[in-house]
Amino acid sequence: MVFWLVVLVGVAAVALAVSGVPLWSGVVVLVALILLVWLWWLIGRQVKAYGYVEREEDLLVRSGILFRRMVIVPYGRMQLVDLVAGPIDRMAGLSTVQLHTAAAATDAKIPGLPPENAGALRDRLAARGEERSAGI
Amino acid sequence: MSQVETGAGLGATEPRRTHKLTPLVTGARFLPFALFVGFITIGQNTAGEGLFVALAITIGVVVLIALLIAGFAYVSWRRLTFWFDEQGDLRVASGVLTRTERRLQLSRLQGVDVVQPFIPRLFGLSQVTVEVAGTGDSRAQIQYLGNEDAQNLRNSVIARAAGLHPDAGEAPQQALVEVPTKDLLVSLLLRGVTVVLFLATLLVVVVTWFATGPAGLFWLLLGGVPLIAVASEYLGFHGFTVAKSPDGLRTRSGLLQVQAQTVPPGRLQSVEFVQSWLWRSRDWVRVRITVAGMESDSDQQQGANTFKQVLLPVAPYDVAVAVVNEILPGVDARKTPLHPAPKQAKWRAPIQHRRLGVGWDDRVLVTSRGRFVWHLAVAPHARTQSVRVTQGPWQRRLGLATMHLDSPPGPVEVVALYRDAAEARALADAQNQRAQQALQSDPAGRWMQQRDEKS
Repeated sequence: MVFWLVVLVGVAAVALAVSGVPLWSGVVVLVALILLVWLWWLIGRQVKAYGYVEREEDLLVRSGILFRRMVIVPYGRMQLVDLVAGPIDRMAGLSTVQLHTAAAATDAKIPGLPPENAGALRDRLAARGEERSAGI
Repeated sequence: MSQVETGAGLGATEPRRTHKLTPLVTGARFLPFALFVGFITIGQNTAGEGLFVALAITIGVVVLIALLIAGFAYVSWRRLTFWFDEQGDLRVASGVLTRTERRLQLSRLQGVDVVQPFIPRLFGLSQVTVEVAGTGDSRAQIQYLGNEDAQNLRNSVIARAAGLHPDAGEAPQQALVEVPTKDLLVSLLLRGVTVVLFLATLLVVVVTWFATGPAGLFWLLLGGVPLIAVASEYLGFHGFTVAKSPDGLRTRSGLLQVQAQTVPPGRLQSVEFVQSWLWRSRDWVRVRITVAGMESDSDQQQGANTFKQVLLPVAPYDVAVAVVNEILPGVDARKTPLHPAPKQAKWRAPIQHRRLGVGWDDRVLVTSRGRFVWHLAVAPHARTQSVRVTQGPWQRRLGLATMHLDSPPGPVEVVALYRDAAEARALADAQNQRAQQALQSDPAGRWMQQRDEKS
């Protein structure tokens, strides 16, 4: 999101320079800048809202501010644990751990972990899942 | 070509082909296409030359297409073989240019369906679908076998999966319910959607009659929309029967295309009783189920899928509960005491708030929702995949939150809507506890583990 806004601001700025400052491009840049500041603030809050606890028998993941959610996944129900890092994540040195159970609705995601932590977490979760595996 | 050959014990069998008529039946499915092409060539040729020449060309084209298709169907029939290997697993080899050999590990069997699509049914042929646990495409379709042969293969697969002798024969079955044709039709016509659409049609007709005269009758055609929906469901559910067998509950229905399904008790994730508001006077319900691995068949036609999701299209509640009790003994959703949603819930759900509720006993969680269509959902604790609490902005304003019980994809949604926020959180923790306890003592779970160790 932030990435695309930065692109938008860049494009608008280029248009501004090329076409000799028409009024609309100035408005676009202004709106985009305001959005950018707002998103910066919002994403900061969202990141703070993310949290997870590794409990004895299950993992608890919490997220969201406006739409809050909390999901409890027993280790025995985890089918696979993914470690994902997109190009921008990698530039920032971050990765995401994603859990899957047989239920698609589970969708437990822990974004923004440093790669070492993420890898260790993934291995821990996978090991615990293996120990307590219960099928469907 | 008659019997599934069996060796001693769980022995291997020789590779064999499907029924001789398979290429013909496969070809027949392309008949409309061939005729369409023929029709086009006629249309193009009648302009210039005489009718005779045009006809000759057309026949030539149709015959050529037919030969091509028949040839391809014949070659692929020749190359499709299936057998049981030394481990007692089913193998299917197919493909002309690209050969594939699929091994279906029967210890992970999800279900075996025998379907008779319309055209094969005319030839007395059936299609057998064997499905094992796994994501994506984890099944094999064997088309087509003679009806009896298909039953034998089905029984053999189930017997092998259960570790019995492959010749153990069909598990004895006992009929439980047959849905009367009249009840089915009446129930489909009395559904809220159908009635509303009919009334809307009537309204449009009356209004346009006054506005433009008899031309308004044209709008009667609109009434066809709900009728088509009713008819297609009717065709699918005609003669619906439920029978009990040691493998699970067997359902069977269909007027043109006959479908059969076995629901193994261990695969059942959740059940719901759905009551449309016009069904209440007769206390009719429809029973829908979520079975593990059901949603993985994305290429299945819509009709077959609806069939798979329905355990009973319509029946009085008492009968429905008796059927469900065959899989979940001693569970009566209406007798489980429900805790109603708090008063504030009416600001979030003004229409349905009186119907909202959640309750549990030591084996299942029961949730209730819906004013016009009442959904009473039941999920065994041991089938809980994860629990979730969500809260939107409006719910937070009112101090409410919603607890979801996540189960594999399917029609049943088990959700305790709009609870008190603290209660929802407590519910989630309690449900998580119950799920983990149930899992440790669940016989189906242990059965799975034993299976996995053996294989």
